[in-house]
Amino acid sequence: MSEFRITRREFLIQLGLLTAGSALASCAGPAAPTAVPATGPTAGPAATAVPKPTAAAVGKEVAPGVPRSETLILENPTGRVVPADDFNRWRPGIQSASTGLQQLGLDALWYIDPDAGISGVWDNSLAEEKPIYNKDFTQMTVKLRKGIYWSDGVEFTADDLIYTVDIQKKTAGLAYTGQFQSYVASMEKPDNYTVVFKLTKPNSRFHGLFTVRWSACWIMPKHVFEKQADPVAFKFNPPLSLSAYVLKDFDPNGNWYVWQRREDWQRTTLARFGMPGPKYAMYIAPGPSDKKVIAQTAKDLDVIHDIAPEGMITLAKTNPTSKGWFKSFPWAHPDPTLPAVMLNLAKSPYEMKEVRWALTLAIDIVRVAMASYRGAATISGIHVPPTGLYPKYYFDPLEQWLKDFTIDVGGQPYKPWDSEAPKRIADEARKALGNLVPTDAAEIRKSIGMGWWKYDVKAAEQLLLSKGFKRDSNKMWLKPNGEAWKIPLMCEGETRPIMNRAAAMIAENWKEFGIDSFADVRDSATRANLPSLGEFDAHLSWTIETWGGHPDLFYFLESWHSTYLRPLGERSVARNWFRWKNAELDKIIDQIQNLDFDDPKGLELGKEFVKLATREQPTIPIMSYNVFSVVDETYWEGFPTAENPYTNPVANWANTKYMFPKIKPKAK
Amino acid sequence: MVVFLGVTLTFIIPRFSPNDPVETRVSQMMMSGGQVNPEAVIHLREALNEMYGLKGSSLEQYLAFWGRLFRGDLGPSLSTFPTPVTELIARAMPWTLGLLLTSIIVSWVVGNLLGGIASYYTESRVMHVIDVLSQAVRPIPYYIMALVLLVVFAYFIPIFPFSGAYPAGTRVEWSLNFVLTVIKHSMLPAISLVIVGMGGWFLGMKSLTSNIISEDYVVYAETAGLRPRRILFSYVIRNALLPQVTGLALQLGMIFNGALIMEVVFGYPGMGMLTLQAVMANDYSLIMGIAIFSIIGVATSVLILDLLYPLFDPRVRHQ
Repeated sequence: MSEFRITRREFLIQLGLLTAGSALASCAGPAAPTAVPATGPTAGPAATAVPKPTAAAVGKEVAPGVPRSETLILENPTGRVVPADDFNRWRPGIQSASTGLQQLGLDALWYIDPDAGISGVWDNSLAEEKPIYNKDFTQMTVKLRKGIYWSDGVEFTADDLIYTVDIQKKTAGLAYTGQFQSYVASMEKPDNYTVVFKLTKPNSRFHGLFTVRWSACWIMPKHVFEKQADPVAFKFNPPLSLSAYVLKDFDPNGNWYVWQRREDWQRTTLARFGMPGPKYAMYIAPGPSDKKVIAQTAKDLDVIHDIAPEGMITLAKTNPTSKGWFKSFPWAHPDPTLPAVMLNLAKSPYEMKEVRWALTLAIDIVRVAMASYRGAATISGIHVPPTGLYPKYYFDPLEQWLKDFTIDVGGQPYKPWDSEAPKRIADEARKALGNLVPTDAAEIRKSIGMGWWKYDVKAAEQLLLSKGFKRDSNKMWLKPNGEAWKIPLMCEGETRPIMNRAAAMIAENWKEFGIDSFADVRDSATRANLPSLGEFDAHLSWTIETWGGHPDLFYFLESWHSTYLRPLGERSVARNWFRWKNAELDKIIDQIQNLDFDDPKGLELGKEFVKLATREQPTIPIMSYNVFSVVDETYWEGFPTAENPYTNPVANWANTKYMFPKIKPKAK
Repeated sequence: MVVFLGVTLTFIIPRFSPNDPVETRVSQMMMSGGQVNPEAVIHLREALNEMYGLKGSSLEQYLAFWGRLFRGDLGPSLSTFPTPVTELIARAMPWTLGLLLTSIIVSWVVGNLLGGIASYYTESRVMHVIDVLSQAVRPIPYYIMALVLLVVFAYFIPIFPFSGAYPAGTRVEWSLNFVLTVIKHSMLPAISLVIVGMGGWFLGMKSLTSNIISEDYVVYAETAGLRPRRILFSYVIRNALLPQVTGLALQLGMIFNGALIMEVVFGYPGMGMLTLQAVMANDYSLIMGIAIFSIIGVATSVLILDLLYPLFDPRVRHQ
């Protein structure tokens, strides 16, 4: 047995050294910046003058050689990117899409803005004009812009577009393989700036594949990819840029990415709108909502992608330079999407329209808005989102129709529309937020919505009784076959607390009405799987997504066609997880498909769809997904707002590129 | 046998989950904000099943997996295809190893020392205070402790950074400044782990030594006039050390799992976050890769422990 060899004195000395070392380390400052060689964009035309940076920002660096005063810091909502060095945007599932890659590095033929747009909703970006179809939509011609260059100095031409389609068509495992195999018969190149697509079958929406809403098929650099043996495995690192910025540096652990304005930014499509203001853009992973609030308060985060409503309220009260989409309540930017309660129409009793309407009338939208968004919700009673230009396209023209709309309750026509719901939400929110909540009716209509369905449990009860439902001794509903009625409402968990809270309140409403309902919280992987197989009763999620700025509804309606309907247990093809089959709907979809994208008849057919969906209520529309994108105006100003909606401010949307020419250093 | 059973179970369990990695990817694609034709979804499903190696029966996949494993290939991650699983683990592992190894060893050493001293010097007021504090800290759930430390020392008294292993914008390189930055960022997570871990070791050692101090050989040593310090370290603590060493070995083996809650609270880029990502995306390959490292880690730790036992306790060597 050996003896203990250390004395108490020695032990204490060693303990002291350990403590001192730890203290010293904890007091150390951040790593000193090291010089980073700038990525070498090709020489281009001289940049125009920019306003001088604010004094507060001078001297501070956010990365080696990257001054804070010249940098816009944005949130990358993906969080930490793993693996950090993979920029092959043409492979499905890539995590680096929102690191600035699709916002600042890549470019597409066309963009449709979810708001008003920088020069109108539609922007011809790499294409010089809109797509040109032949009469039967079996051919699409694209005219490309001249004088656009990749960041290595190679000119962008028709070869890049043809290669992009051809390689994806030929290579299984790339993002658009299926689409191009289905639709592209051949391509022709009459000249260096024109491509003619011969389609396998008529497709009036083929251009949609190349049109950015949030993303689209980005154009590949032929001269880079053609040298790769395996275009699927290729990491595209460093990514070549076709837009106004080029990747300067990034963290190998995926926490931050710095993009630098190209010296030859005038040879990119963004140059049409002037020089991008920030010389650098840094996308970071700031962590959860509370950390984002702290980071913005500390002026370390200029653009928050999304935070919890409580975070927004905190910023509104404590950080005067923080601005939302709306000046005040409800602050958030409404996405052109529509979270809705999908009821599984292939399962009993949801195949009955009366049941769906009863469940709708048993929801108190005021309580749902308060629970989910603390009132800062933009509600929609119809099957299109109340956002972008859709109030003008759909809501205003259909308002009278909605007011007059009736359903049969107890043999009597019953008007379910409730125009007062937004006002009640505003009144309720005002109790907590006081003057921050508008009182002006027009403001309330614009920010909270036009109306919803009445909360009328008596009418709901009559509807159920008419279909053979009964209550048991505990006043709980029994289905017509005598079984207890139970509705697990599938929803998201911590990833989107808004959806989770909304589902919990809807389930609570239904429970009060006498249905054994509860929020069935599932992770995203499960929610991707079970609804596809039809293994759900009710699911609060997205099935309706639109262009926002353009009224065409084919974007989501295509997959609602009965051609793609699948029985329970078989995977649904796309968005019709709730398995709605309706001949009238098929007719509307077929008619839209045979129209030009911009044909005004498309809007009329869209309205027909809204009327049909209102009558049938296949899903229960709730509200737009409001994104609390908050910008801080300490360093930069000129961000898009509800008053100046030139683009979407939500940081991971590719069309935020239009923000960059508009924002300038804050003038003091 | 341990490794075989562990790997086999790890292969089977994720396949019982209601999730499907292909559907996760298809869903991501559909929600990615670009126009997706329904027919493309059908093509995409087929292509992904092929690429991910999920075609064929479970037995075929299982045999193929062992074939790859024997070649040292854990295959590509499904959620970050085609990045190899080994590459993802190799990037995350150093962060976890650096932080957890240090924290566990520090908490073990300090906890055991203080536990032994507290048990032996029952009259010491300082030890009494430490005893009370340890008993108070021990039942506090780790996530509460971590959040409290974070709010107090990163917000109210901002002496430590809020999250991450280093600030945004920092270059990862071998320089003194970078190392100091990393140490500074790891201090708060480390302190939280040490405080919670130390309490357990403290109480364990105190409990073990409280029986030993009344043993005949300790009484004899005191009667013989040996110095208390010698009795404490050579007779009391050493005889109580064996179960604590076993506990340490098992805990070191678990390092390969990472400390999920710690990494989430402090935004630390280690194995815990990687595990979370793998489970959330139902990434079979990555789950299995992490599990294999963990199984091998625990098995190796136990093996090393068996070999080291005689060094700690001569009675084992004698037997």
